[in-house]
Amino acid sequence: MELDQDVPMEDAVELEPTLDEDPLSTTPSADYDSDVIFMNNDSANQQGMAKPTSLPQLSGSNISQLDQWIEHLSKCQPLSEESVKSLCKMAVDVLQFEENVQPVNVPVTICGDVHGQFHDLMELFKIGGPCPDTNYLFMGDYVDRGYYSVETVSYLVCMKVRYPNRITILRGNHESRQITQVYGFYDECLRKYGTSNVWKMFTDLFDYFPITALVDNKIFCLHGGLSPMIETIDQVRELNRIQEVPHEGPMCDLLWSDPDDRGGWGISPRGAGFTFGQDISEQFNHTNGLSLIARAHQLVMEGYSWSHQESVVTIFSAPNYCYRCGNQAAIMEVDEEHNRQFLQYDPSVRPGEPTVTRKTPDYFL
Amino acid sequence: MAQENTPEDLYPLALLMDELKHDDIANRVNAMQKLDTISLALGPERTREELIPFLQDVAQDDEDEVFAALAEQLGHFVPLIGGAEFADILIPVLQVLAGTEEPIVRDKAVESLNLIAGELSAEQIKTKFAPLVEELANAEWFSSRVSSAGLFQSIIVKVDDELRNVLLSIYAKLVKDEGPMVKRAAAAHLPKIIDLLTANPDKSNAADWDYISAMFGILTSDKQDSVKLLSVDVLISILKFFNSKNDTSHHKDLLETSLKLIGDESWRVRYMAADRFEAIGLNFAENPDFISELIEPFISLLKDNEGEVRKAVAKQLPGFGKLISKDTLLDKILPEVEALSTDQSEFVRSSLASEITGLTPLLPKDIVIKNLLPIFLTMLKDEFPEVKLNIISKLKIVNDVIGIDLLADSLLPAISELAKDKQWRVRLAIIEYIPLLAEQLGIRFFDEELSDLVLSWLWDNVYSIREAAVNNLEKLAIIFGSDWADKEIITRVLKYGDGTSDILNNFVYRLTSLFTFTRLVPVVSKEIAITKILPFLESLSTDQVPNIRFNVAKSYLVVAETLRDDPQLINERVIPVVESLKQDQDVDVKYFANQTFEKIVELMN
Repeated sequence: MELDQDVPMEDAVELEPTLDEDPLSTTPSADYDSDVIFMNNDSANQQGMAKPTSLPQLSGSNISQLDQWIEHLSKCQPLSEESVKSLCKMAVDVLQFEENVQPVNVPVTICGDVHGQFHDLMELFKIGGPCPDTNYLFMGDYVDRGYYSVETVSYLVCMKVRYPNRITILRGNHESRQITQVYGFYDECLRKYGTSNVWKMFTDLFDYFPITALVDNKIFCLHGGLSPMIETIDQVRELNRIQEVPHEGPMCDLLWSDPDDRGGWGISPRGAGFTFGQDISEQFNHTNGLSLIARAHQLVMEGYSWSHQESVVTIFSAPNYCYRCGNQAAIMEVDEEHNRQFLQYDPSVRPGEPTVTRKTPDYFL
Repeated sequence: MAQENTPEDLYPLALLMDELKHDDIANRVNAMQKLDTISLALGPERTREELIPFLQDVAQDDEDEVFAALAEQLGHFVPLIGGAEFADILIPVLQVLAGTEEPIVRDKAVESLNLIAGELSAEQIKTKFAPLVEELANAEWFSSRVSSAGLFQSIIVKVDDELRNVLLSIYAKLVKDEGPMVKRAAAAHLPKIIDLLTANPDKSNAADWDYISAMFGILTSDKQDSVKLLSVDVLISILKFFNSKNDTSHHKDLLETSLKLIGDESWRVRYMAADRFEAIGLNFAENPDFISELIEPFISLLKDNEGEVRKAVAKQLPGFGKLISKDTLLDKILPEVEALSTDQSEFVRSSLASEITGLTPLLPKDIVIKNLLPIFLTMLKDEFPEVKLNIISKLKIVNDVIGIDLLADSLLPAISELAKDKQWRVRLAIIEYIPLLAEQLGIRFFDEELSDLVLSWLWDNVYSIREAAVNNLEKLAIIFGSDWADKEIITRVLKYGDGTSDILNNFVYRLTSLFTFTRLVPVVSKEIAITKILPFLESLSTDQVPNIRFNVAKSYLVVAETLRDDPQLINERVIPVVESLKQDQDVDVKYFANQTFEKIVELMN
């Protein structure tokens, strides 16, 4: 389902026929088992894909089911294929009503790439506080590279469905069918479940993840960076995001671009997205009344890194990335008065596991 | 599938054969793992006559992963083929697998063969299993010989004197094998064989011991250190055997061999001896002269050039320390320990830190204070967090000897220092140690510097520290009582809210204060709960941050549970707030308010 358009698609509804063949993208409620039902999804159904007046409410049995899954996953044990199937169905119901630019309130803790490093995600919650007591905004790249992509993404999606107002999960460039086949998530699903079904369920779900978030109208959060085809946040709102990450165009850029020391737009060495300079960031922030662009996508040794004279911050939340990079991880707490605090942390301590070197080998630099 | 009585009787086997032809290796492994199902469907007789011969062919033509699954399955096959009387038909397949080059397959095959050997009769062992062992041991290819070394242990005490002697003679050949892998396998399994002979004293005779001592001699003089280092465990097993017989006639020779191994020129051999030093020492403990001969070698290991050796021997300090006199420990060993506490390798220091406190019960109190305590304090200032943590986590044993007063005097500066450590796990370890101090030290100790400290942890920027700080304050309140909690915690925290400090402007710290107060509700007097804590909860029930409001909802359940004897209070002060939270705009606040409400209703009925 490659979409080679560089103009925004008009309407999500029009894409529906393409998605009809896969089990996750059917309209809500129609074919649900009684035990995974949402109580008021009738109203959502009547409105089709139009913006709902409120998020679907969870039923009591769903809540206890989700709490049970979360408990199970927190021990780093994957869910059964059946459970993943119902989880993804529930998640579509929540995520499809989120906006391309999902509004988020302060206080919130903003996090970058996790990449399947499940134990380090648990460390993150030890540092920042457990969800739902702390509100979280994750900026994509939950899967690939690390050994526990399945558990990581299942856990975050469970949290999202259980506490939709307390946690926001954006899409990263790795939340894609193509990328996950190369960087590990596909193989991990195959290894842990014996079939690629779970991979298909999750990658189908990824299409529904919001692509950007706006914290209190001041901090624009996204995985990659800006796009030459996007000048205003409203233009992001007009995109059709429910699709595989395209190879080019605005949606691709938002998930792939990087800030650069050179001014203007540049060709990205990644082969997708662009590089953008300080002039671009400042113009974008000015046009949209923003104070900051927060993004992830790049390994930074201290866990966070400012660029463009503090108009862009990169946050990376996978410590000792790929179990070898020796980097610290960080998260950014934004309190209700918009004060920012960065918390850095090191890999979790797991007794019984060989301690990995924290020094970066020369050839890696 | 079997119950349906398919017309095609061969169905289960055909299914397996089909699956085993699958291109994807994962499918073939899967098929192998379901071998027991296939066998159940076939029944014992057809398993013996059709399945096992078929597997014999498979075992020679597939991938290692499939072999490993097959080798593992066959270990549980005895009941499936009709019981122990037929067990020997499993041997040929496993024999093939035991000859594979892949160690994983071999290990599984040996494991399964040993399982099967446990079910064989004496006759089967003699006529089937022993010949298998011999055949493997004499095989041309090294992998079979490696496997054979692992099989002796399951039969060595189950055969008669004659056969045992023959088996040991075969084993002796493995020890002298030309392949180092074979020698290593033989050396590694020898201690188990000796331990079996120790456990069954009537199952060995002088002739057997001639073989064993010859083998030991060969191993200790092997040119390759990877073989030689394994002889340390053999030595310990031999010593245990003679000690079990109260026979000390060989101890002099064995001591000499021990000294040679401890002083070996290869660090890997020295490492092994260092790692097992307590076990070696214990076996010579009968004779003080022998022990005193071990003291110098022990010291030389503490000073070894190789960090790994020092790291290993540091862990043996309390164990070996028990065997020697206090004077020797003080005069000869302690100076070396002191040097080791500032060793250049952080791993050596960390290893020392984990065991050094174990020396305190071995020494008189004044010596501990004079000689050991300074070492602990040095290590508490180590730059490597693990060293500090290892000391802190084992301080209780020191406390038992020198008493908390003295420890506290020396420790307090260290604690204040560590409380600000940049590693949060170090801070955590200190916090968790505080209640122990409090319990034994009493309130006096806490009225000064520490009170500030325990409170300051609430405002840490790492959640886990704040959480531990809350737990800590709850425990302190239990130990010191309601008035102390009011004065030192509640009043002081409430002061932050009166506008003089902006700390409670941050929702994180309002939440932490809420958690603290909630935990104190069951601990403090009713009056304090009502006059101090309830107003605070009420003010937070309209907080602008929903996370605070739903935690307030949770807190009211604790209030209701604690003050359930006072229905009027609950009706007037609890229910109205929970009711208003039930009408909140936020779904999570509503959810938790409803939860609390339902439980309160339950509680009051």
